[in-house]
Amino acid sequence: MKRRIADLHPFTVLCLAVLTVSVATAASRWWLNCAVIVLCLAVGAVAGKSRKLAALSGAIMLPTLLSLLMIHGLASQETSAVIAVWGPILLTLGGVEIAMALALRTAVLVVAGLLCGLLIDKHQLVAAIDLSPAPPQAGYLLASTLFLLPQMMEKQHAIGEAQALRKAGTGRGLAGWLQRLRLRAVPLVLSSVQDAHDRSVHLAARGFPARGEHSRLRQVADSQIQRGVRWVALLCSVLVPVAILLPLGGAS
Amino acid sequence: MDMEHRARAGTTAALHLRLGSFRYSEAHSDALREIEMEFSPGSLTVIAGDSGSGKSTLGGVLAGMLPRPGADQCEGTVTLAGQRIDYSPELSPRIDIAGWARHVGLLPQDAGLYLSRIRQTVAEELVFARENEGMPREEMTELISELSTRLSLEHLLERDPAKLSGGQERLVALAALSAAKPSIIVLDEPLAGLDSKATATVTAMITRLRAAGTALVVLTRTTEAWEAEADALWTLADGTLLPASEGTGTAALPSKRRRPSIAAASAEPLLAFAGVQLGYKGASAPVISNLDLEVHAGECVGLAGANGTGKTTLLKAAAGLLKPASGKMRVAADAGMLLQNPSDQLFERTVAREIAFGLPKKSIQRARVPLVLEQLGLESYAQTHPYELPASARRLVALATVLVREPRLLLLDEPTEAMDSAGLQILHEVIDSVFERGGAVLFSSHDERFISRTAHRVHQLS
Repeated sequence: MKRRIADLHPFTVLCLAVLTVSVATAASRWWLNCAVIVLCLAVGAVAGKSRKLAALSGAIMLPTLLSLLMIHGLASQETSAVIAVWGPILLTLGGVEIAMALALRTAVLVVAGLLCGLLIDKHQLVAAIDLSPAPPQAGYLLASTLFLLPQMMEKQHAIGEAQALRKAGTGRGLAGWLQRLRLRAVPLVLSSVQDAHDRSVHLAARGFPARGEHSRLRQVADSQIQRGVRWVALLCSVLVPVAILLPLGGAS
Repeated sequence: MDMEHRARAGTTAALHLRLGSFRYSEAHSDALREIEMEFSPGSLTVIAGDSGSGKSTLGGVLAGMLPRPGADQCEGTVTLAGQRIDYSPELSPRIDIAGWARHVGLLPQDAGLYLSRIRQTVAEELVFARENEGMPREEMTELISELSTRLSLEHLLERDPAKLSGGQERLVALAALSAAKPSIIVLDEPLAGLDSKATATVTAMITRLRAAGTALVVLTRTTEAWEAEADALWTLADGTLLPASEGTGTAALPSKRRRPSIAAASAEPLLAFAGVQLGYKGASAPVISNLDLEVHAGECVGLAGANGTGKTTLLKAAAGLLKPASGKMRVAADAGMLLQNPSDQLFERTVAREIAFGLPKKSIQRARVPLVLEQLGLESYAQTHPYELPASARRLVALATVLVREPRLLLLDEPTEAMDSAGLQILHEVIDSVFERGGAVLFSSHDERFISRTAHRVHQLS
């Protein structure tokens, strides 16, 4: 099962994610949102990414949930049942309900998006775009974006090593972390700019980005079934929300 | 080629260059002047020169990367593939670099810059240029198979190009360049950092490329390794070419006898490894296993071994950047390390600030900065940005950042790479100064002459 998930074409994963998010958002039912989140976590577990998915989702959703509670739960002006009172601040039932509904809707987007990021191999995604009829610049743009962060991480590691050799930025705790951040930030930006400048001329010499017909050594497995699933998913991600929302629009 | 100013030319040479002058933007003097050369199919032209003599600039001009339109000033003519391009102070035609590279390929001195860093495996990196040309997959597979066999790269094909050793990186970059099959290949220090096996492989590859009609241009510190094979030997000095026999003498190692052996090294080692295993987090296998090595005060120990056998890893462990996975390691002295790529070690705005980086403001070490600048002959560069320096001077700046702390244990990773004769002389003096203060030196190198003249003993890694 894990292998099957890993072998999915990147576009298939993306299309299924778009379908899931669009339907869940349009339906706006708490149980559907919860079901989608559980399903995403289950898929993440099968793919061996559950810990990473949970940690990343938590890191994004906890601050989001807190801010929503502050805005809608505490500062809400509505007059529903009061749960708690702290001087002029009221925690109302309606406010909490609104905050939770918005948080769930956001969580679907976050968890599904992160799952996509964890399931899709970035090299496979760039290759899939290069092999698709999309203009070559699309693959170039995506490659530049996706590989920038890992390259900067490598570079900051090298800068950190060089600074550690000079006994700089070796402190511990929060103060040490802040010092490292301060010492590495400027060299990281400057060396990244220099590296991009030096490397770009050789990339251009090697014909990148391709201006016409191009190919890839890497193969991205695909099938008739997956192509069908992608079309259906894309179609449904437009039609299902329309079908859900239109009667509501007519009723109002 | 998309050249705005061109004319048909009548020459049989693969490339003909007549360069009146070349000056970088905002520079006060010409980097190159009065150069005329041509490269015939199958020829090997060797251009030797010290660091800063203009070799890399000449390589950039040949590869169409220089002059930069609207910035650098150039006067001259290049005839390539039957087309003539005229440069003048008023007119600097915009070159289509990709089109030019189909005829002239350049392997830069820092070979890692040639690699795209956006491909996951070495196999993909090898055919990156051919992918952009639309070569069918079957042909690319054949090309990879052919190249990897010729350059003994089979074991690297599935490796991440970003995690190769310096020598492996150069070999892969050379293979990727030859995969593009340009009619002229310009190689900037092609043998730097290569072990003896890889050097023989590259030399054989060059012979094969020449036999197939490719013109080779080698930019190097010294002509020694090329004298028997070269069709033309040139020396580049002060931006001008001279036949090698008339040159001012290219950078051979200083004629110095082997370092006298230490009569009585101290009993207590400054550095000791006992049954040590070294590796990187997440790697499937350790890089080094069962390492036993001791370095005593007064000793200069050379590390030898093929590319990728863990020389840099060992030095990083000795410097405290890497903890052994098992075994015992003891470092009984302050260690300072010169990294293989000096650019990884430099991040300040000026040379003086670079050397003083991390030193407490009123410390004795900070007061030593002018002395170190003088010791390494860098006084005139004190206010220059390290990136603007020639490769040899940049390496000396990196060395200065280490020396200012007066380490008793000096660790040097490929110290002779890109170093010219003056730099090598200074390097020898630096090593001597470490012994004078009771220290020791441990270095890795593929430069057999440097090892034989410098090391008291050699530790072989396999």
